[in-house]
Amino acid sequence: MNKATSCANLEELINDYLPDRIKLAIKGMDIRFIREMEEIRVRAGLPLMGVFSGYDRFIGPNGVLSDNPGNGLIVSAQELRNLFYLLCEHSVYAYQEDICRGFITLRGGHRAGICGTVVYQDGRITGMKDISSVCIRLSKQMKGCAGEVVKSIIRGNQDIYNTLILSPPRCGKTTLLRDICRLISQGMESLNFRGLRTAVIDERSELAASFGGIPQNDLGPRTDILDGCRKKDGIEIMLRGMAPQVIIMDELGGQYDAEAVKMAWNAGVRIIATAHAFNLKDFKGRLGVGQLACGGEGFERIILLGMNNGKRWAKVLDADDNELSFLDQNGRMSDGFFRLHCHGLKVVGKAGGEAACSSKISGDNPES
Amino acid sequence: MCGLGIPLTAAFENIGKETQSGVWSEIFLECSRIMKEEHLSCGAAWRRVLSENNSLPLEDSDYMDLYDFGEMLGKSDRFNQEEVLELEKEKLSALESKAREALEVRGKLYRNLGALTGAAVVILLI
Repeated sequence: MNKATSCANLEELINDYLPDRIKLAIKGMDIRFIREMEEIRVRAGLPLMGVFSGYDRFIGPNGVLSDNPGNGLIVSAQELRNLFYLLCEHSVYAYQEDICRGFITLRGGHRAGICGTVVYQDGRITGMKDISSVCIRLSKQMKGCAGEVVKSIIRGNQDIYNTLILSPPRCGKTTLLRDICRLISQGMESLNFRGLRTAVIDERSELAASFGGIPQNDLGPRTDILDGCRKKDGIEIMLRGMAPQVIIMDELGGQYDAEAVKMAWNAGVRIIATAHAFNLKDFKGRLGVGQLACGGEGFERIILLGMNNGKRWAKVLDADDNELSFLDQNGRMSDGFFRLHCHGLKVVGKAGGEAACSSKISGDNPES
Repeated sequence: MCGLGIPLTAAFENIGKETQSGVWSEIFLECSRIMKEEHLSCGAAWRRVLSENNSLPLEDSDYMDLYDFGEMLGKSDRFNQEEVLELEKEKLSALESKAREALEVRGKLYRNLGALTGAAVVILLI
């Protein structure tokens, strides 16, 4: 998605979904901050907050950003309720399943996480009432960000390696996976790589961000999407009906995920997946899915993502832990990968905080 | 995405396009349009459209009942919406009986509304 499209999406989000005072506050922000904003956090009785690249700021009634919560626009419970109804298109019943999962996917691929009082019936969640906070995560597809990394995972001109992307939260795994999906599906003439039939199991609706059945993100022309489907069920459905060459899914880790991945491998289908982990050792130690990265029949390429001192890096390993390539912000990766969350730091200057993952990955920092 | 239901804007549009909707067709279509374009709640849009159609042969108390009905649409989960619609159907049936005794034209109007509320129940459950 280019910047213009991204901004149009954001404009639509602001106009269609936000209550008046919040709309005014966001519109009053400097356009550079609006562009760099990753999340809008709205809490009843508390100041409006924006989350940028690894730091947050309170947003005043006129859009002025501040460290001081006292300067932020205090959102009333009624405004939060209005926001919730707007997110549901004033039709709560129609979004009931999404609400029970804790989030609503919006037009443009944005996503609103919801907190409130959870309602149980017969041991399962049937709804949420008394909404207390909403986190709108802004969708920013970064086309081209996987351009360099993808070279390490293609095998010949019509095959790829089974690939696992690992990083702590908020280091860009899903964004990278989305772009890898697009490139694998559409093919890359420069690498003489033909596009592959790609199936996406979008359990959390984050990859395609489908709205009314239409993917809001570009995942490529040969891509079929199962939205809101558990990985195990999704793999079975795809294998049975869609004959994919590659299956793509986000956030391995569930109890049955390892079995499901093996089922796909047994059918000769390649897998590209992500998982939360600080390093490969961390992932290998996981019950169930850990065995998928233990050489032999497991994942053949591991992409580790990290950030240190505001600089991103990506490392590609083979199944035996040998480093195949290392890409960092000062080196070869200048095609967009480092735009993930990064330039907020430049814009704000004294922004301070590092990315969410930086303190945790210090042990992985190849520069240290 | 929307699971087992469709949003009110789409439901109203569907009802508005039904040929048997009669005088209510325009009201539902206009309500859908306002909700979509102005991002108003169902209650607000419904109230505005009805008040602009004050030539309908309804008593003030009928309008009040209809305003209240609009306020409740879309604000809760499927189970609660079904209850709201069931109650409204009962209320409309009672009004219809009363109107039939009074005036045939109004009787027709209420019957239309009753049928449409029934249709709305079906649409919400699809």
